[in-house]
Amino acid sequence: MFRYVLRRLMLAVPVLLGVSICVFLMASLVPGDPATVLAGDTASAEQVERIRRDLGLDQPIPIQYLRFLERLAHGSLGESTRTHREVLLEIADRFPYTLALALGAVVVSTILGIAMGIFAAVRRGRAADYLTMGIAIVGLSVPTFWIALLGIIVFSLNLHWLPVTGARSPQSYILPIFALSLHSAAVKARITRSSMLEVFGQDYLRTARAKGLRERVVLLRHALKNALIPISTIIGLQFGSLLGGAFIIETIFGWPGIGRLAVQAIFNRDFPLIQGTVLVGAVTYMLANLAVDIVYAWLDPRIRYS
Amino acid sequence: MPRFLSVVPLVFVVAASCGAPAPAPAAETTSKVGGSVTFVAMTDPDTLDLHQTSNPVSSTIFGWIYEPLVYQDLDNSYKGLLAESWTVSPDSKTITFKLRGGITFTDGSPFNAEAVKFTFERLQRLGAKSPIFETFKNVTSMEAKDDLTFVMNMKDPYAPIFHDLQVSYAGILSPKTVRAANDNISRTAIGTGPYSLKEFQTGQQITLERNPGYKWAPALYQNRGAPYVQELRYRVIAEPATQLAALDAGEVDVLGLRAQDLAKYANDARFRVYDSFTFGLTYLGFDAKRPPFDNAKLRAALARAVNKAEIVQVVFENKLAKAQCCPIAESIQGYDTRLKEFELTFDPARAKAELEALGYKAGADGLRTMPDGKPFKPVLYTTTSDTHGKIATLLQAQLKGVGVDLQVKQLESGALLAATPKAEHDLYLNGYSWNEPDMFSLFLSCDRVTSSNRVLYCNGDLEKLIKAGRTELDQARRMQIYYDAQKLTMQEAPWQPLYMPVSKTAVNAKVLDLKQGQAGGLYWHDAWVKK
Repeated sequence: MFRYVLRRLMLAVPVLLGVSICVFLMASLVPGDPATVLAGDTASAEQVERIRRDLGLDQPIPIQYLRFLERLAHGSLGESTRTHREVLLEIADRFPYTLALALGAVVVSTILGIAMGIFAAVRRGRAADYLTMGIAIVGLSVPTFWIALLGIIVFSLNLHWLPVTGARSPQSYILPIFALSLHSAAVKARITRSSMLEVFGQDYLRTARAKGLRERVVLLRHALKNALIPISTIIGLQFGSLLGGAFIIETIFGWPGIGRLAVQAIFNRDFPLIQGTVLVGAVTYMLANLAVDIVYAWLDPRIRYS
Repeated sequence: MPRFLSVVPLVFVVAASCGAPAPAPAAETTSKVGGSVTFVAMTDPDTLDLHQTSNPVSSTIFGWIYEPLVYQDLDNSYKGLLAESWTVSPDSKTITFKLRGGITFTDGSPFNAEAVKFTFERLQRLGAKSPIFETFKNVTSMEAKDDLTFVMNMKDPYAPIFHDLQVSYAGILSPKTVRAANDNISRTAIGTGPYSLKEFQTGQQITLERNPGYKWAPALYQNRGAPYVQELRYRVIAEPATQLAALDAGEVDVLGLRAQDLAKYANDARFRVYDSFTFGLTYLGFDAKRPPFDNAKLRAALARAVNKAEIVQVVFENKLAKAQCCPIAESIQGYDTRLKEFELTFDPARAKAELEALGYKAGADGLRTMPDGKPFKPVLYTTTSDTHGKIATLLQAQLKGVGVDLQVKQLESGALLAATPKAEHDLYLNGYSWNEPDMFSLFLSCDRVTSSNRVLYCNGDLEKLIKAGRTELDQARRMQIYYDAQKLTMQEAPWQPLYMPVSKTAVNAKVLDLKQGQAGGLYWHDAWVKK
């Protein structure tokens, strides 16, 4: 197992290199560069040229990339062209907020989704099943930003329970996490329901019931544990997209997260910062998937990595 | 008497002698101190290094923390802030500033001529991103003659110098702090201003705190001492719907309103809405370098198809914009009502006739083809802003009225700034914001056709006028030059000026005694918060 994890981590290196080359090429293809954006709309051509030289953007792309790798070897992602601060520092300021949002959303959506899925599965074909799955469909179809704005109107403006923006108090986490959770909770509810139903037909469940186990034990220990494999895959994938896809929620709630940082970096053509946020995103995505693969082995002892 | 002073008497002002009103009774003053006011920022300031940014959010923050040598009074004249007075040499190339004594930076070090010299030399060294970098390229040497006398020598006389010295980017830094920070002041800011930086929470909020030692406020205020409001906060909220919700919930106290929100707040007792003009205008430009719009007659014909009144009515509900005749907006010095007779007013019949005469014939579908028979489909480049999008759509309809099939391309700002110097566009819709008639040298001069002159218009006669306007210090003669420059521009039509934005700002009614300037700008130093 240890060797498997080590091998996966080593495989990450070429993947990340590939990612960084792609980002570098894409960034250089986008019209406009940091110098034009930084200099603003009143700058002279000479001013723009000078900034370009200061930033090393007058060098050919391969040289710029090699410089990037050289810095990386020294443990630095470079300086943001906009703020002149270390990219790692910029990310470190923002990442905890996004991580808290993503973890919160994963926990809430998993609990909510699995509970709804089990509830619907055991009441298959009955009104409660249709109602639960109906709610899930609504959760899937309603856009996140709409839920978020509705949440602000109801809980902040009308009831005055929660703040509208920022991340200054524990209460300010509630609305963003809730808004971010709904969509993934709905996905998990549907998958839980269908994989539970699949497991219900299996012989080992009949055996468990025949042994006289209580229904709760049958459901949670025998059925759910086996049904969790597809759900854990989804959790891993969703965690990645929650980290990267929280942008809209971050914008609406004025959340100081990494999604907004990345989008701002793109608008400002802040190449080092774009590179940094994408790499951090790629690393977390890979780690999340590695974690899921390890969880597989725990859920299903037949799965062995060597 | 130096020439400069004879024509701009107001600049030679000793603010301290302006007859300050009797100070308010101590008890009343103390009772006003306290509270906080929260503003909205669209993004974080990129850096707090005064010389390494042209970012508007940073500029706003600098306005509280740093002070320049001069300021612009309510009537738009220039008066001394950190400078007490100044004289200009007969050849207009040397300005000698007498500085105000007894001023200290918030790090405790004294303000003096050495600090001014240090600051402007740093700007020359590191300021390539600063909007006033070019101004200081004209400055050949600077000297701290004694503790409170600062001398600035220029290569050529430069008329807009006082405008450039009053912007917040021209504030004076504390040399002590800058040296201690090894020039890295991206997150530190020590000035002489009424507020100091308390906290910078990335992506969330900037908090400024009242400078209790401040006692040199300009004469335009009743309160000449420290400000009353204890804390100013800039909360970062990018989404307009959230900004409004935050205003409603009382999390934000000051917010610029959009046309669609006006009705709601105009009659809401919780807020006061202040109108103000902006120092600039939005224009429709033509890429004057490349055929077919290198032809002034074609530009004029299309300009006549534009209905400014309709734009102001449909997009701004006649509230948030005012139609403009001339290149210099009515809020800026140099605006002249006599120029109205040269305006290319809305006249679709004439536009059609002129297009016909130029060989742009209408086909069976009513749409025109170029003289060589190819379809005439000019492309308009503009920003991704909602407002510009709406105007572009309206322009499409208006030009269709004269048989021109306008294509619209909205680009986000980085891409747009990169596209225009390459002359990819035919038409260009955007605005300028520059409170000086010398805006001509930034947006319409030959020197700038590869950068900020987005219409790539270069005309020898206009160029001569622009150069003359920059160096002419006689006010009357200078204004005549800009009259001629505007007349020429209106006849040649590289721009069709459209409108001057009018901003409406909602301020929580808890804020009292806010002052407004001639153009409506808000002046905060007398303001206090009702408890």
